[in-house]
Amino acid sequence: MKVAVLGCGGMGAIHASVYASLANAQLTAVCDANSQLADAMAAQTGAIPYYSFSDMLNNAEFDAISIALPTYLHKEYTLQAAKARKHIICEKPIALTLEDAQEMMAICEENGVRLFVGHVVRFFPDYNHLKQTLDSGKLGRPGVAHASRIGGHPGSWFADESLSGGVIVDLMIHDLDFLRSCFGEVESLYALSAAKEGLDYALVTLRFENGAIANVEANWGYPGPFHTKAEIAGSAGIIRANSLKSSSLQLVKQGTNSDTTGTVVIPGSPGYRSPYELQLEHFIRCIEDGSEALVTAEDAYKALELALYARESAVTGKAVYLKGGNAQ
Amino acid sequence: MSQLKVGMISFAHEHAFSYLDALLSIPEVTIVGIADPVPARVAEATGKHNIAYYNDYHVLLEQPMDAVVICSENALHAEITIAAASKGIHVLCEKPLGISIDEMNQMVEACERNKVQLMTAFPCRYLAAVVQAKQTVDRGEIGEIVAIKGTNRGTAPSGWFVDRSLSGGGALLDHTVHVMDLMRWFTGSEPAQVYAYASTLFNDQLKVDDAGMIHVKFENGTFGVVDTSWSRKPPFPTWGDVTMEIIGTKGVLSVDSLAQVNEVYSQQDGLGQWNYWGDNMDLHLIRSFVEAIRSGTPVPITGLDGLRSAAVALAGYQSIQEGQPVKLNA
Ligand SMILES: NC(=O)c1ccc[n+]([C@@H]2O[C@H](COP(=O)([O-])OP(=O)(O)OC[C@H]3O[C@@H](n4cnc5c(N)ncnc54)[C@H](O)[C@@H]3O)[C@@H](O)[C@H]2O)c1
Repeated sequence: MKVAVLGCGGMGAIHASVYASLANAQLTAVCDANSQLADAMAAQTGAIPYYSFSDMLNNAEFDAISIALPTYLHKEYTLQAAKARKHIICEKPIALTLEDAQEMMAICEENGVRLFVGHVVRFFPDYNHLKQTLDSGKLGRPGVAHASRIGGHPGSWFADESLSGGVIVDLMIHDLDFLRSCFGEVESLYALSAAKEGLDYALVTLRFENGAIANVEANWGYPGPFHTKAEIAGSAGIIRANSLKSSSLQLVKQGTNSDTTGTVVIPGSPGYRSPYELQLEHFIRCIEDGSEALVTAEDAYKALELALYARESAVTGKAVYLKGGNAQ
Repeated sequence: MSQLKVGMISFAHEHAFSYLDALLSIPEVTIVGIADPVPARVAEATGKHNIAYYNDYHVLLEQPMDAVVICSENALHAEITIAAASKGIHVLCEKPLGISIDEMNQMVEACERNKVQLMTAFPCRYLAAVVQAKQTVDRGEIGEIVAIKGTNRGTAPSGWFVDRSLSGGGALLDHTVHVMDLMRWFTGSEPAQVYAYASTLFNDQLKVDDAGMIHVKFENGTFGVVDTSWSRKPPFPTWGDVTMEIIGTKGVLSVDSLAQVNEVYSQQDGLGQWNYWGDNMDLHLIRSFVEAIRSGTPVPITGLDGLRSAAVALAGYQSIQEGQPVKLNA
């Protein structure tokens, strides 16, 4: 299948290099308004560079497109691509509002194209193992879970909540989606958050219809390496994951000066196939054989809904009951 | 004051054994006697250390003494504390201080009226990592505290602990208070609003909650959450934890107070275990109580401290009823 990538920033570069090596995809075009980024990506992958989407649409050959633009542009370009009958793999979060997400899903449906959203945590081997273990029944009835996603502040357009949605909508949404995949629908939630110079931090507690409770932490502003943690405690057992503890490789290099303060420590957790590769390969296969994806646009919509309710709770200071009731 | 004469009332809470060991290790302490309505509970301890036994704590309180350590069922803390205070005896009371705001106020008032000190047993303040974390925060190393994510998870107790009439509540009351006390201490601010979830998820047989998540907004704008669940049981390699992720404007301080363990894998135990080798917090708690009473200086953790942390847990139960956050009346 011929694919194109729109946006050659952090995520676009990953999509493009994955496609360049995937057996079931052929990367024909890459596009970024920043011509240097587009050219560099083209040089690396052999695809043709474009500097505007309309130019790429008019001249490049492709059946599916990855949209790796800043979140506030997801809707606009998804609609254009759908109307041009391209299947779409959009980065998460699907959009910034439920209305936009709804419209994207409707227009894709009308035009007979598939829409996938990159909730890549579903393809991370550690998270996959968590869910498999839960589903095996080994943990008994799920009781209390925790999930944390902790890293530096990405700055740039991410810092403007009206463009990125902030730390809950952009970062925590990964765990909201993952936990929903584990425990099902959420009954109520309560959120606490703070945004300061260089720090966007949130704690959200979800109560699921199955009775389980989860506290989810997201931090933009941690002055150390990005890491994730998760735990599920059930009536018959506990499972815990911690990306720092499961780093299977650590490089420690002498710095330029002889003193140890120049030492560089680089943790790694290599695998033969990256989660991004597994995700994109899966989505392309779903387009080819028409099968349902492991994570659907509907799931992405639901994750956004949870994130927006969490933001609402943080602002009003009240618990949100998703089906009404109890709210005072 | 030369020797400090100390009595112990009730070993219902097993912390009493550890407090007894701590008292025995302090040369300036003389143990006057142990009162417990269940002789079997203390027979070994009184026999081994040749300590006078009293069935009725009122009789013990007739003996000349300076202070008592109370480890009864939560529901009896108030009655025993007030009886000791009226005899002019200082009190170290196990947490939670009480099971209602009214009775805790009466405990504090009775001690003030009788000019005796009331200390709440929050040993976590004496964990070495906690002590250093507090100093680190006070030096401004992580800037201003923004939020604290805490856990005090444990293994479900049994007996009176899971009988609401004696314990006052389940895991939410049992495990909110330690970390809440640390949060108050670290932020230097009082809880203003509380929201909690609690239910019985790990053991259906229990008549009290064993799973809980409690959220607090402090007067100064910082906030925190504590997982209070009794979610640990074998084969999990340890009984529980006390952790805090302290998020500051200039950094993050992670406290995993009981992380000082060696991993033991023995066919004798059958399961892998984490064996703690860190300092004994109970010993330092008892020493600081003894020191304050002997020197006539204020105890470092007051009855009011105990009341305020327990009030958060009680407000948590109220918020569960209402389904929304509740304000704490200062
Ligand atoms: N799945 C994940 O783990 C993950 C991680 C990071 C980001 N993301 C998501 O991916 C998306 C992109 O994030 P990023 O980190 O790559 O951002 P980025 O800022 O690094 O890249 C965005 C790129 O889009 C280009 N661009 C902007 N407007 C354009 C236009 N009209 N036409 C062509 N190019 C344009 C910019 O020049 C930039 O190179 C966001 O939605 C983000 O939330 C997902």
